[in-house]
Amino acid sequence: MGKLEALDICMEYLQARTGNRMLAIDRLNLVIENGSFVSLVGPSGCGKTTFLKIVDGLLAPTGGQLLLDGRSITEPGRERAVVFQDSSLFPWFTVVRNVAYGLECQGVKPADARERVQPFIKMVGLEGFENHYPYELSGGMQQRANLARALAVDPELLLMDEPFASLDAQTRELMQEELLGIWRQSQKTVLFITHAISEAVYLSDRVLVMGPRPGRVIEDLHIDIPRPRPLKVKRTPQFLDYEDRVWSLIEAQVKRDMAGGNGAGGQVLG
Amino acid sequence: MATPAALSPRGGLPAVRLDHGPVWRLWWQRNERLALGAFGLVLLMAMWELVVRLGLVRALFVSSPSGIVRAFAEALDRGTLWTDISISLAEFALGYVAAAILGIVIGIAAGWYRRLNYIASPWLAAWYATPHIALIPLIILWFGIGLQYKVFYVFLVSFFSVVINALAGVQSAEAKYLEVAKSFRASQATVFRTVVLPGSLPFILTGLRLAAGRAWVGVVVSELVGANQGLGFMINLAGTMLDTGRAMMGIVMLGIFGVALGEVLGRVEKRFDVWRPQRA
Repeated sequence: MGKLEALDICMEYLQARTGNRMLAIDRLNLVIENGSFVSLVGPSGCGKTTFLKIVDGLLAPTGGQLLLDGRSITEPGRERAVVFQDSSLFPWFTVVRNVAYGLECQGVKPADARERVQPFIKMVGLEGFENHYPYELSGGMQQRANLARALAVDPELLLMDEPFASLDAQTRELMQEELLGIWRQSQKTVLFITHAISEAVYLSDRVLVMGPRPGRVIEDLHIDIPRPRPLKVKRTPQFLDYEDRVWSLIEAQVKRDMAGGNGAGGQVLG
Repeated sequence: MATPAALSPRGGLPAVRLDHGPVWRLWWQRNERLALGAFGLVLLMAMWELVVRLGLVRALFVSSPSGIVRAFAEALDRGTLWTDISISLAEFALGYVAAAILGIVIGIAAGWYRRLNYIASPWLAAWYATPHIALIPLIILWFGIGLQYKVFYVFLVSFFSVVINALAGVQSAEAKYLEVAKSFRASQATVFRTVVLPGSLPFILTGLRLAAGRAWVGVVVSELVGANQGLGFMINLAGTMLDTGRAMMGIVMLGIFGVALGEVLGRVEKRFDVWRPQRA
C-alpha cells in the first residue's frame, strides 16, 4: 500500500499584489511505487513544497488528480503524514506529547497515546528525552522527534519537506543514514523534497528533477546503487556521476535565477 | 549527536564556581546584587532622615523615615490601618478578578470568531483609548461613592488590557503550527486547545500583568475622588490635615502591595513558561 499517482497536477495562484495569475505547477505527472523512496529536487521556487502540500491535502490543486492506491486525495488523511521543515514541533509540548500529537488528533486517550508512541521514540533514538521541551533539544534531535511524530500515525505515505535543511553538514549526513535505517524498518513509501542533490541521490530509489516554474518533472532518474548504502558511497564514481547528471539539469536554471531572471514571488512558494 | 549540547539544567546560567579566594569575596560574588540594592536603600533613607533632622528641609513637607514609622505605629494603634488596607484590597480583588475572567473569555472569543471580532473591535479600541478617569463623575452618579463605584472603576481600567492582549494572542497563532494541526486532521476543538490557547498564553499573562498595575492605580484614583475608607482616602485625608507622615506611610503601603502583586504575577508567568528558554 502507498502507491501515489499524480495526473496533470496544476496549481495556479492569483498574485494579491498585481492581480496576475501565476502558474506555479504545470501538468505535473508522476508515479511513486509502493514502498519506494523518491526524491523531488529542483531549484527554490520550482513548486516542490507546493506539490507536497497538495499531496498532503493542505492545498487543493487547481487542476489534475491525485490518487493514493487508486483512491482520490482531496484533504489530509491518516494514510499520509508530513515531516515538516525545522521548528514545526509545538514548543509548548514535551517530546512525547509532540510525537503523540497525531494520535491525540485521532482521539486516542493521552495515556494510551504515550504508550503507543514509545516504540517510535525508541526508533529515532530519543529515549530518555520524552519529557524535554523542543528548545532543550539540538536541531538534529528536533527533527528526529518530527520524524517520529509522522511515523506514529502509521501512514502509508511519508511526505518529507526538506527536513534536514537547517542542520549542520555533519549532522545532516548522519541523519540521512539514520533515515534510511528507519525507512527500511518501517517500509513506508517516501516522497522526499530537497534541494540538496547529494542528499536526494543518496537516499532515493528515484530522483525526480523539477524544472523551473511552472514546476513539472523534467527527468526521472533511477539510482541503481545497492542498499544498504553506507555514507561512503557518496565518494564512489557512480554516485558522483548521478550527482553530475542531476546538477547539469538544474545548473542552467540556477544560473538564470542568479542572474536575476527570476521575478518576485519565486522564493515564496518554496 | 547523542549528547546534545543544548541540554542545560533548566533555569539560569550555569554556575561559575571560583573555589578560591577569601571568604568575603565568595560571599560578595553571590550577593552583590542584593547587597548593593540594600545599600542604596539604606543610604537614601539615612540622607532623608539627616536633612530633616538638620532642619535643611521642613518635616511638614517631606516627613522622614522615622516620621513614617511613627505614623505606621499610630495607625496600627488606632486600628484604622487594617480597615483601610482590607477595603482597598477588596476593591482591587473584586474589580480585577472580574476584569480578568471576562477579559480572557471575551478576548479569546473575539480572537477565535472572526465576525465577533469585527463587531467588538471598534468598541474595544475606542474604550481602550478613552481616559477612563473621565467617567468617574458618571459612575458616581450611577453607584454612589460606595464599594460598587470603586469595583466598577477598577474593572473598567483593567478590563481592556486583558481583552486586547487575549485577542492579539489568539490572532497570533502561527500558520506553521496551524498547518501541522490541519495535516493531522485536528478538530477545531483540538486546534484551539493545542495550538491557539498555548500560543496565546504569554499574551494573556502580559495582559494580566498590565491590567494589575492599572487596577491598583484605579483603586487609588477612585478613592482619592470619593471615599470614606481605603488607602487612597487615608492619604487624601492625611494630606488635607497636613499629616505628611501618614500620607507618606500610605504611599509606602501602596508601593509595597504593588511590588508584592508584581512578584506574585511574575511567579504565575514563570509557572506557565516552562516550555520557553529561561532568561537568566
